[in-house]
Amino acid sequence: MIKRMVSIGMLALACLCIPCSPVQAKDDNFSDAVKVIERFYRVKHKGIPFLARAGMKTVVTAARIAGGPKRRLAEVGSVKVAYFEDQDFSSGNGVVGFRAAINAALGATWTPLIQVSSPKDGEQVYIFLRDAGEKFNVLLITIERRDASVIQVTLSPSTLAKLLKDPDEMGRAISEEATSDE
Amino acid sequence: MKSLSQVSANSVWKIAALAILVWGASATATAQTARIQTSSLDHLAAKASESVDVNIDESLMQLAAKVFNSKDPDEAKVKHLVSGLKGIYVKVFEFEKEGEYVVADLESIRSQLRGPGWNKIVNVRSKKEGSVDVYLMTSGSQVLGLAVLAVDAKEIAVVNILGNIDLERLSALEGQFGVPDLSIEKPKRKN
Repeated sequence: MIKRMVSIGMLALACLCIPCSPVQAKDDNFSDAVKVIERFYRVKHKGIPFLARAGMKTVVTAARIAGGPKRRLAEVGSVKVAYFEDQDFSSGNGVVGFRAAINAALGATWTPLIQVSSPKDGEQVYIFLRDAGEKFNVLLITIERRDASVIQVTLSPSTLAKLLKDPDEMGRAISEEATSDE
Repeated sequence: MKSLSQVSANSVWKIAALAILVWGASATATAQTARIQTSSLDHLAAKASESVDVNIDESLMQLAAKVFNSKDPDEAKVKHLVSGLKGIYVKVFEFEKEGEYVVADLESIRSQLRGPGWNKIVNVRSKKEGSVDVYLMTSGSQVLGLAVLAVDAKEIAVVNILGNIDLERLSALEGQFGVPDLSIEKPKRKN
């Protein structure tokens, strides 16, 4: 239940950042997070702008959710994306080990907001927050059996608060839009 | 050589500084006592079919209380709901089959809730299977926090809310801010 909530909340965050161009990690803890995944699972990330494949429907949805294109753009800062595609994430010493590793790498400067794991399904979701002056940095890590991603975005307090309150509602709208033929 | 007035002034400042430190330390201690430590449960994540860990600290609670618009009826409700809260911490483990955890796994949580300040609220009714125990920490007339331990054969949920909280607010928070559905029946208002 909550896992779904978190997952679609992450999708919501990701979609809110579509207008920004994905970039490679070069600074702060974003690259630390990428490195932790690479070391733990012995995989290599790609600079694939996977969000670019999302299509216009999702962009439109993101705009609706944020209250219109202008408001959406105003709320979004920068985005960094690293994507791991078609690689094996079953190695390593399990969910508990990875959770400890990522918390150790980010814990000094980031607050772990939500951490969800489903070992049987091979799914893990981590959302970390960091104060960035008047806005907030959000670091999202998703790991599935064959794919993973690390996304860092900057959100306004109001967007973040809405996500804190009810990521399910925001995510459901995106989910419906993304699967519709309209 | 320092004059008497200088010495007195220094002493006053030192005493004031000490008082502030002591006050700060005691305030911090008070705030921390309602926080339940749940890291002893972390090893269950490996056995659980799903585990969820939510941490919304005081700064995020303040942010939520600040940004919601009082003029919007829906947002005003949320604003009111989270005002006075200093943190929401949730840990949930769902297991595929029974017997994946033992009673001893919960002892560290229960022992904290037997500690000073915590009182179990009796007559809490939940539609959930298993047991749902709700504890309130108070200091005089001030509510410092609340803890819920919901347990059944295939699920453990620990909810820890810091600040001014009661059953009605807890019930209203279900499904929001990471608080799971505890199916707690809303307390009847006294006439």
